Amino acid sequence: MKKKYAFLVDSDKCIGCFTCAMACRNYYHQEKGVVWRHVYPLNEEIYPHRERAFFSLACNHCENPACLNVCPVEAYTKREDGVVVHHQEKCIGCGNCIRSCPYGAPVYNPVEKRAEKCSFCHERLDAGLLPACVQSCPTGALKLVDLATMEPGNHVQFPPGFPKNDKVNSSTRFIMPKVPTMVRR
Amino acid sequence: MTGQATREEDCMSQKTRALSRRQFLKGISMAGAASLLPLRLLMPYSAEAATAFREQDFQIFRNACPRNCYDTCSIKTYVKDGVVQFIEGAQESTFTQGGLCVKGYAYPRRVYSPDRIKYPMVQDGRRSGNWRRVTWDEAMDRIAGKILEIKEKDGSLLGLGLTKYSGNFGITNYGVEGMMSSLGYTTRFVGTPCWPAGIDAQNYDLGDMWCNDPEDMVKSRYVIIWGANPAWCSVHSMKYVNEAKRRGAKVVVIDPIFTQTAAKGDVYWQPEASSDGALALGMARHILDLGLVDSDFVNNHAKGFAEFAAYLRENVTVEWASGLSGIPAEQIREVAEEFANADPATIWIGYGMQRHTNGGASVRAIDALVAMTGNVGKEGGGARYGHLRTWGFNYHALLQKQPEGSLGFVGAAGPKGEFDFTKGEAASFTDRTVNINKTAQAILDAKDPALKMLWVSCKNPFAQDFDRPKLERAFDTLEMVVSVEQFFTETVNNSDIVLPVTTLFEEWTVNASYWHYWVGINEQAIKPMYETKSNIEIAALLSKKMNQLAPGSCTFPQDIDTREWLEKEFNQGIYDYLGIKHWTDLKNGPVKAKLASSASWSDKKFGTPSGQYEFHSDLCQQNGHDALPRYKEGRKSFDEFRLLTPHTKFGLHSQFVNFDWMQEFNKEPFLYMHPDDARDKKIADLDMVRVFNKVGELKIKVKLTSNVAKKSLVIYEAWFGQGNDFNVQNLVDDESADMGAYKTGAPGVAIHGQFANVERV
Amino acid sequence: MQSMELPLVLFTVLSQAAIGLVLMNAVRLHAGPDGGNDRKEWTLAAALMGVGIAASLFHLGHPLESYRALAHLEKAWLSREVLAAGIFFALAALAAFTGREKGSPVLVWAAVLAGLSALLASGMTYAPPALPAVNNALPTVFFLISAVVLGAGFASWFAATGSQPLLARILVTALVVGLVVRLTVPCAWLSGSEIMRQTGMAWLGAPLYWVHIALMAACLGVLWKKRTIPVWLPILALAGELAGRAVFFSETIHTAVNIGAPY
Repeated sequence: MKKKYAFLVDSDKCIGCFTCAMACRNYYHQEKGVVWRHVYPLNEEIYPHRERAFFSLACNHCENPACLNVCPVEAYTKREDGVVVHHQEKCIGCGNCIRSCPYGAPVYNPVEKRAEKCSFCHERLDAGLLPACVQSCPTGALKLVDLATMEPGNHVQFPPGFPKNDKVNSSTRFIMPKVPTMVRR
Repeated sequence: MTGQATREEDCMSQKTRALSRRQFLKGISMAGAASLLPLRLLMPYSAEAATAFREQDFQIFRNACPRNCYDTCSIKTYVKDGVVQFIEGAQESTFTQGGLCVKGYAYPRRVYSPDRIKYPMVQDGRRSGNWRRVTWDEAMDRIAGKILEIKEKDGSLLGLGLTKYSGNFGITNYGVEGMMSSLGYTTRFVGTPCWPAGIDAQNYDLGDMWCNDPEDMVKSRYVIIWGANPAWCSVHSMKYVNEAKRRGAKVVVIDPIFTQTAAKGDVYWQPEASSDGALALGMARHILDLGLVDSDFVNNHAKGFAEFAAYLRENVTVEWASGLSGIPAEQIREVAEEFANADPATIWIGYGMQRHTNGGASVRAIDALVAMTGNVGKEGGGARYGHLRTWGFNYHALLQKQPEGSLGFVGAAGPKGEFDFTKGEAASFTDRTVNINKTAQAILDAKDPALKMLWVSCKNPFAQDFDRPKLERAFDTLEMVVSVEQFFTETVNNSDIVLPVTTLFEEWTVNASYWHYWVGINEQAIKPMYETKSNIEIAALLSKKMNQLAPGSCTFPQDIDTREWLEKEFNQGIYDYLGIKHWTDLKNGPVKAKLASSASWSDKKFGTPSGQYEFHSDLCQQNGHDALPRYKEGRKSFDEFRLLTPHTKFGLHSQFVNFDWMQEFNKEPFLYMHPDDARDKKIADLDMVRVFNKVGELKIKVKLTSNVAKKSLVIYEAWFGQGNDFNVQNLVDDESADMGAYKTGAPGVAIHGQFANVERV
Repeated sequence: MQSMELPLVLFTVLSQAAIGLVLMNAVRLHAGPDGGNDRKEWTLAAALMGVGIAASLFHLGHPLESYRALAHLEKAWLSREVLAAGIFFALAALAAFTGREKGSPVLVWAAVLAGLSALLASGMTYAPPALPAVNNALPTVFFLISAVVLGAGFASWFAATGSQPLLARILVTALVVGLVVRLTVPCAWLSGSEIMRQTGMAWLGAPLYWVHIALMAACLGVLWKKRTIPVWLPILALAGELAGRAVFFSETIHTAVNIGAPY
């Protein structure tokens, strides 16, 4: 059965420590200002305590990726296992994918003058290793899952705070955070 | 510069590169075909995916993070062409479990940062910024010359001081203290700003600071995290807290701030800061009333419980505790009862909790709570604070002899800190010790002789010491300041000479943790960048120059191999404890100590004078405190708001925050305040405000949040770098904590016993 | 405010001016030969499209590889836009070089086809899922309005006297439609989803947006009573269109800016 690799973002386990974001940077040494994985704090309208719940997001390796669809030079391919790979050497830096991805995954590299994004550490996947970010997570909040075999559970595709777009059909799944009993003075 | 070139090369290694000739020609043909046929059928498709990762393409080294952090991660370093390509956590350690933290993963940038100090430099005029490069020889010449001048004038080297703390916990870095000893008797800044009150408290109660293996928290049925924020400061511990929760444990987080850890607990208590002792005593009173005391423990393994119980009955009520802490009485009763009924139950006592004038007393009260419920010595239980059990090295680097005929300080000298492993010999002379927590005052007060020269290593006084305005005045009285550093910190700005030091990847050493029980080797993965040297290499160089100018003036060996010196630190005790034959076994990965039990004190043989847990401690009383863990009031407020300056998740004290990599995610520092208070002061979210008190002032942007209690201001320490003059020490004074002198040589600091006001700018 | 993307502002406005010019040529052709200066008109159309395409190359990180942008005609509207614009330019250039004073109908209709294809492809290219306010037919509508306004305006430089009133009527109509569309659409966005609402706020709060409205209204005001288009009016309209297009690129909000907040 064909795999459908995806990220599982468990915001209940997530402590917003940014380890995943820096692990990506540690592995790929992106240029200044170029960030592949963000840790977005959830707004107080979604989680009532400021900067205490987060979505760690890189590329959502969509089923029908906007980036792949709009790229004029076919610099994106979708592998059989679901990974959407960016082939930077083909990119001419037109910025169309950057403009088109609802999640802001592709970003402009001002030194290369091309776009770039998370490609799921596919060279690590092919060696039987976890993506750098997944391996780094100290609480197991960021996981690698296979949508093809994943049991239905407490995860959702479009939690509040994440743009809903049925057309691109993002692969990332989320578990929402909980709140404790508050006893204040 | 080699650094820049290799950094660019390493950027290339992971991504496939620019257009090759083959691709260009293919492109031309593609365009030709495209213009004729607007269908992609005839165009060849090529997937230029990168080939699979291969570990054999790299040289692998083992490193250990030497920072002052609970987690002391074991690191696996991937080197190619002599350049660190990337690092990851060691998989062998169940604690590190393959991942580091946001700070650790920034290490590659630290090694190759363009901001890194590359060679010895001299500043012509402190704070002028007029730095010029000098050779190591010239730098040593100046330093040695000054040292000999002081010796000549004063007849001793007491005018030379060392301030060093936890910037680098690699064991061989105690060679800096060794270097000082090898010069003569000097002035040492002793004590620790970090955890001294709690250390003393645990020593009075239990006879040592010795916590359970943190990995056994999964067995706990009730976990109270009291004044600690592991979600930011010990990220690897969170998985154990989560697992305990998954198995059904209740997690209660007690903290004046609604921290990230608090968001992950079941119940959150927000007490008045420094009221923790009262809160613990209130819980103790209720447990006593309910008859839930573990009589076996208090009768057979403890001393003084009856007296403590009497104190509780006469002086403590739940209502009283509620009044002082702000936690509703019924909550105190509920949690106390649950805690006492859970088996095992544990309390993680945080260092923030004891950074008050009554910190030691508060820790004693919390220890008592754990002890009276019979949770000491239980797997999954215990009053967790820290330990030093895996630190039994030889301290060969530390133990150097003063030159013959050295004159020094005459008088009683206590320990030089919690890591002082020198067995106190009764020498006629000793080093002069001054309180590291009152660095500024100590410098100003030192006389006969005055302090003329200061050596700063593994510490950043201008970020971490208190009352920054006073510190600047104090430094100005010094004739020469030498800093051993990697970046141009504020301390370096206030120095005359800076010596560039190696990172963990550029030296051999070994690291232990004060929390978990793993030990990891730190191999030299790459050649030292630029002209950097490790602390002991610097000591060797100084010794060479000293002996050149004045033979016999320094006993430190003049030829150093960091690997050899690493070997000298190991002994059979460590080998037995770790269950290894030789330290080279650690090259395959970190090893965990072979513990008889995951619980400390499992045999109930305590290190106190009585050999029992001491609710009543004569020793504590002798040292000027209360024999019982009686309530001690915290510092009285002297301004409108309480000021708290806890740790940021983006740095380890002053390290890492200044990196551009880190500032991608942590763009600027903020003040956090409650929206109600802000409204009263007509302050809006993201306004620029001025925080001020009797120490100094700080201009900063504000974020409004109810995470912070009312009448409370929270600013994360300590500085920001990159030209931002943010520094919390402009607002923090050096008020002492109650305890700390017994085991660490000086009392701690009431870092959170601070107050300030705020207004819009 | 996001990047203004000046090269794209220039490309879209100038290319639409060129397409509009050819469209007006076809309209006049349909009305009967008028004896205008076709060759000069073709030259301007080719020049406008040529400059537009050249400007767009400045948008690319690697302009010398731009020829590869034709690779994804199967799916990518941008590839189709490049192809159609290229064909249009080729046809316009051919007409300019080989044409006589009177145009060839075949060339005109072919160019119209290519031009409208380019316009549609442009409209779809700049309507991505990430820009909810314009992830629909609106960009195509905006661009069509631009084409007609600028086409009619510049055509007046070349059309015979007999066609001027027709062009003036077309221009007035297009200006009215344009103002109505470009004033009401942002207002409608205000009651849409979060990003639409933010886009509406951004547009209405942008000084350049009001400059655009003022310039178009001024053009309308000038033309209202006249039967011919003053020679300087197309320049004013061009300035207005450029301002409006700058707002389109810089103030149309991207969903990614709001991640973590309610949508």
